[in-house]
Amino acid sequence: MPFIKRGASTPVTESKPGEATAPHIAALSSPDAEMRWGAARALGGVAAAVPVLAAALDGEQNPRVREAIMTALMRIGDEASVRTLLPYLRSQDARQRSAAIETLQALPGAVEPFVAALLGDADTDVRLLATELARNMPPKHATLVLCDLLKKESHPNVCAAAVEVLAEVGTRDALPTLKACAERFANVPFLPFAIEATIARISSTES
Amino acid sequence: MVPPDVPVARAVLIAQDDVRRLCEFLYRRTGMSFDDSKRYFIDRRLAERIAATGSGSFQSYFATLRADAGHEIEHLVNAFTVNETYFYREDHQLRCMTSHLLSDLLRRKRTGDSIRIWSIPCSTGEEPYSIAMWLMENWSEVDNYNIEIVASDIDTRALKAAAEGIYGARALMRLSRDMIERYFERIDDGRVRIDPGLRDSVQFTQANLVDGPDMTRYRDFDIVFCRNVLIYFDDTSRRVAAENLYDCMRPGGYICLGHSETMSRISPLFSVCRYPEAIVYQRPEATDDGS
Repeated sequence: MPFIKRGASTPVTESKPGEATAPHIAALSSPDAEMRWGAARALGGVAAAVPVLAAALDGEQNPRVREAIMTALMRIGDEASVRTLLPYLRSQDARQRSAAIETLQALPGAVEPFVAALLGDADTDVRLLATELARNMPPKHATLVLCDLLKKESHPNVCAAAVEVLAEVGTRDALPTLKACAERFANVPFLPFAIEATIARISSTES
Repeated sequence: MVPPDVPVARAVLIAQDDVRRLCEFLYRRTGMSFDDSKRYFIDRRLAERIAATGSGSFQSYFATLRADAGHEIEHLVNAFTVNETYFYREDHQLRCMTSHLLSDLLRRKRTGDSIRIWSIPCSTGEEPYSIAMWLMENWSEVDNYNIEIVASDIDTRALKAAAEGIYGARALMRLSRDMIERYFERIDDGRVRIDPGLRDSVQFTQANLVDGPDMTRYRDFDIVFCRNVLIYFDDTSRRVAAENLYDCMRPGGYICLGHSETMSRISPLFSVCRYPEAIVYQRPEATDDGS
């Protein structure tokens, strides 16, 4: 048979011993992208590395290394990681916004304390993106924060984003707010239509 | 006369909109995607879970699911995943390997070079042995290259069974009688053992996809079969696994995922390659040091 036999080659190399974080922190500023990639990956889960990961993310241009830094922050998943990622929701670069929201979505517990503030942000785009963060929250809490948003939100697209999330996670507590929102935006036909479908959906669920 | 199965059918009656909600939920949580053409498949498994949880209705069940009471999400995913494995499972990917992937990889290789193929997780060995058999049967260049097949799993019991290579009739259901005669020897009570030559052609190792240091032992794979495992991971673990796999592959190497999995939802590290037989993902050939 043409196959290499068991034990005839060494396809599996020896495992590397545990390495201290200092060299990886230094390697994060290496001119070699491969070094930076390896360093970011090695620092995943190292809470003390958040400040250096944050600084590296700020200046990193290589998409693959940026991805690794985001994953490292996701693995750490603490409040400091969330604070590092939040500014990227305001990025002018759609890829950076998407990467930040995807990373934050994976950290529902750490993100939760920030969601209400984000939903009240002065920036429409931030409010719209923040509705996605409610999707992974417990249904009652998600309903609460999204209804708070719907009661005062003036932009129909933000309302539509919140309604879409409520369609999946909303409880019956959302029904009065949804009805009021549909009336308030009666002149924006797509929104009452979406709300009607969401109300029907939530109504069919048990409270 | 009322057919005997009507009460059962009534008990599991599920509306179209309910199915859509469940599919949306499944997609968001796992990336598993089902459309209306899979309605029978969905209804049957959903009815099983509704019955198993004693929910009585879709609405009640969906509330249980969203709360993940009793790890119901895991149970649902298990129900929607064909856990049983067998020889030549999803053989369209094997066909894709010999029709397209290998010829592309050979552009960068010389006769006599090694081609490294990795099956992870390999479970009880049906997949890596299938790869070896498929290459023997369907790839004319098989004798011109050194082919290394490494098969890994986190479960040592599965690895032990894989190395023993003993299988029952169900694992062989996709193989012709001729194939079974050629690659297996009969032992007892309907069981067969894989040919010793083929058994020695696969190196079995323990590996954990999300363990970075562990994964540094694996490098330079040309083709990776990593099927039906990432759906069980959470978002973070999926991304870590994708990065680990990236490092384990040669530039230009290919990775095949399960039919319900898509790398695009996990990580942007890989390029999508659409072939008539399958969609696979490729580690980009060129370096990305365009900073």
